[in-house]
Amino acid sequence: MKLQLEKFGKTLISRELGSEALKAFQPTLRELSKDEELEIDFSGVLTLSPSWADEFLSPLLDQLGDRLILLASDNLSVHATIKILCEVNKRSFNIKT
Amino acid sequence: MEEKLFTISQAAEYIGVSLNTLRRWDESGKLIAIKKGGGTHRYYREKDLEIFTSDLMKFASEWIQDSVEFPGIFYCPTSSIFNARLVKMQNTLMQKPGFEKLYSLIVLIAGEIGDNSFAHNLGKWPDTPGIFFGYDLDKNIIVLADRGLGVLETLRRVRPKLSNHVAAVEVAFTEFISGRAPEKRGNGLKTVREVVIEYPIDLFFTSGDAEVRIKNPDKVFRVTRGQRIVRGCLAKIEF
Repeated sequence: MKLQLEKFGKTLISRELGSEALKAFQPTLRELSKDEELEIDFSGVLTLSPSWADEFLSPLLDQLGDRLILLASDNLSVHATIKILCEVNKRSFNIKT
Repeated sequence: MEEKLFTISQAAEYIGVSLNTLRRWDESGKLIAIKKGGGTHRYYREKDLEIFTSDLMKFASEWIQDSVEFPGIFYCPTSSIFNARLVKMQNTLMQKPGFEKLYSLIVLIAGEIGDNSFAHNLGKWPDTPGIFFGYDLDKNIIVLADRGLGVLETLRRVRPKLSNHVAAVEVAFTEFISGRAPEKRGNGLKTVREVVIEYPIDLFFTSGDAEVRIKNPDKVFRVTRGQRIVRGCLAKIEF
C-alpha cells in the first residue's frame, strides 16, 4: 500500500495535527494485510516537521517495523525530520531510493 | 503626484489595531498622524505605516517585557491562525530566488518554535494567550515570541532540579525531554539546533535570562546568561 502524505496537507507542522492525521489513517491502515508493506510517499509535501512526523511516523514505525518504507525525497525538511526521528526512536527507517 | 493617504480606518485595518489605539499612539507620539489644513481628521502615509511595522524585534520584546500593544497583523491567538500564516509565509518564501530548497527548513524552524509556544502553554497562559509572529522576507528575518511560562517553568515539571534558565534552555536544545512527559515529545528544538548549525540560518533565542546565539561564522551552540529576564520565549531567525 502506498500513502501519499500530501493528502494530509502540504505543510505538516504541529503535533496536534500529526496526531489527528494518524487517527484519520487508522481505518485505512487496518486494510493493510499482515505481510504487506506501507510505502510513504513525500512528494508534494512542502514542509515536514519533526513534531508532526513524531506523531505520525514514529507510531507507524513501532507498529510496522521494517514493513514501513519511506520513499526517498529531495526535500530538506523531510531529510532533517527523518534524521531526528531515527535518533528519537533509536532505530533507522527503511528508506527506498 | 500626490502621495496616497490612508484614513484612520484604513490605517487601523492595515496594521491591525483599533481606531482608539491609533488615536492614543498619535497623542503619545508613537505613531503620529497627519492632519490636513488644520483639520481634526487623522491620515497616514503608507510609507510611514510600513516603517512603523518593520521593527519586529522591538514590537516582540516590548510585548513580552512590558505587555506593550503591537500591530494585530503579527498576533496569532491560536495555533490554527499561526499555521495559516506560516503557510502564507512559506508560499512567498519558496518563490524567493536562492530559497527554492532552503525554504522548507526555515518553515520547519519557525513552525517548531511557534508550535512549542502553543503546546507548552495550552491551558496555562499566564495572561495573553497566543504568539507574536512577524516576518520580513525582504530583510530575511522572522521573529516569534510568547508571554507564556518560559522554558524553565515548563521543564521544571519533569526536571524539578533544574535551577536556572541557562540550564533549562541547554536541556531544551540538547536533550529529548518534554514539559509534557510522559508524552513522548521534545525533539523540536534539537532539530532546530542541528538545522541552524548545518545551514546558512542564524538563530537568537531567549527565555528568562538565558540566551542562545547560533551565528556565522563559528556556528557554535552555546547558552549564555543575558542582562535581562524576559517573560516567555523570544526567537529571531535570520537567513
